[in-house]
Amino acid sequence: MSGLDLPLRDQAAQIAAGELDAGELLDACLARIEERNPDLNAVVATFPDQSREMLEQAPDGPLRGVPVLIKDEWPLPWRAETVGAASVPGVTLEPGESGPYRALREAGAVIAGVANMHELGSSSTGNESLYGAAHNPWDLQRCPGGSSSGPAAAVAGGLVSGAVGADGLGSIRYPAAYCGLTGLKPTFGRSAMEGHHIANTETIVSGPLCRDAADARLLASVLFGEEIPAAEPTGLKIGAVRDPYWSDTAPGVREACEAAIEALRAEVGGEVVEVELPDLDLILPAALLVAQAEEAAHLVPSVLNGLSPELGLINRGVLKLRALLPLSMTARAFKVRAKVRRDVAALFDGIDLLAWPAVPAVAPSLTEPLIELPSGVSSADAGNARQGVIANLTGVPAISVPVLHGANGLPLGVQVVGPRHGDARLLRTARWLTERVERG
Amino acid sequence: MEGESAFQSYLNGALETFGIEADEDERAVMMGVWALYEPGMELLRDTDLDAVEPEPHPDLSKAPPR
Repeated sequence: MSGLDLPLRDQAAQIAAGELDAGELLDACLARIEERNPDLNAVVATFPDQSREMLEQAPDGPLRGVPVLIKDEWPLPWRAETVGAASVPGVTLEPGESGPYRALREAGAVIAGVANMHELGSSSTGNESLYGAAHNPWDLQRCPGGSSSGPAAAVAGGLVSGAVGADGLGSIRYPAAYCGLTGLKPTFGRSAMEGHHIANTETIVSGPLCRDAADARLLASVLFGEEIPAAEPTGLKIGAVRDPYWSDTAPGVREACEAAIEALRAEVGGEVVEVELPDLDLILPAALLVAQAEEAAHLVPSVLNGLSPELGLINRGVLKLRALLPLSMTARAFKVRAKVRRDVAALFDGIDLLAWPAVPAVAPSLTEPLIELPSGVSSADAGNARQGVIANLTGVPAISVPVLHGANGLPLGVQVVGPRHGDARLLRTARWLTERVERG
Repeated sequence: MEGESAFQSYLNGALETFGIEADEDERAVMMGVWALYEPGMELLRDTDLDAVEPEPHPDLSKAPPR
């Protein structure tokens, strides 16, 4: 077994103990990228000289000498991000030291490359990018999920054991579910974000995509700048919002996720209770409008009339549509956010966690990303966003944990949502879930 | 124009008013995306939010005042 196939924590431990040569590990990583990336298209840039320089200068941190990837959403000192697009309307992107870069460097990690993403982060599928679609390692004809498509495809494909993604409307959790990984969307404000091109964001966070929860805790600790304690989940009271999060899912998804949650409940004690969250149907439109408002200052005719023809047709149309949405709707969306934030905070007075499927169906095809649900055929984006955006609208943490294989042997994810700053509880719960599923 | 939906009329007028150029393909995308957005937007428009207290200067990293 190559050191490259070890968990992130074991790579770090073996390097620290002198049992694994970090230079050889980096060489193996770059060779693996060269070998597998033509199929996966998960990595859009490598820079061996800068990676080796990071390794030579790596301080004695928790990830010293460990190769990782970073999503194409932050600048590096030697490369401007592209956000998966020919250009980002109204924004000049330049190389620089971003927060996630600094956090990784200070932990001693080695950035081996930049990972692909859905163009402008605008979809949960990952099937469109300046660099072409990334592919799901479980089935190369299927979506890896988005917008953190490259980080997920790279970790699931064995190019690295951990990658940094970004989650603005679920963009870590959907690809984690589609690719069978653990993906954490931290509490807003906890993880390094400096240097992101949407400086005023209140929805986007950086977070880890890893093969399991223990690795996700390690990488999240690096992004938080503090060690996340290994909290014990005992006597959990788990809230389930049944309709539509559980009920409107493809055959097998509900059963698989219910079995996982029941196994968790049995393992740690506690109970699963049905809970109500008011105004569920308002959450998705409100989240979309709030997120869109963060970029709206650039949506002026001089910018919109000069959009690059290399930008995808859907993004060109959506950007122009956004400029025409009535301001009153955005103002109402912020009122809904205020109410939902209070409702969610009140809900967590009586429960420890919320849980439901991270995605309502397994990964759809790259060419036609549609899913079939009890409510009808839907775009994967619409179904996924319904499951995920509440964490971004309210700022609370959420995690997608692989539970078992669904239709066609493809992975599924169960999503666990926690109270503000409940990141440690989520990670420990995810570890319990994973261990329970592995034991069957 | 005959056969135009209300949104199509709004779209054509708004693009012209604001001086935003859009080709036929982009207009088709805008129509298609609006069809997805419309039910949620109508709900947002029609829901009575008068009693909802706004959250001034929210800090998303902190719990909301209650």
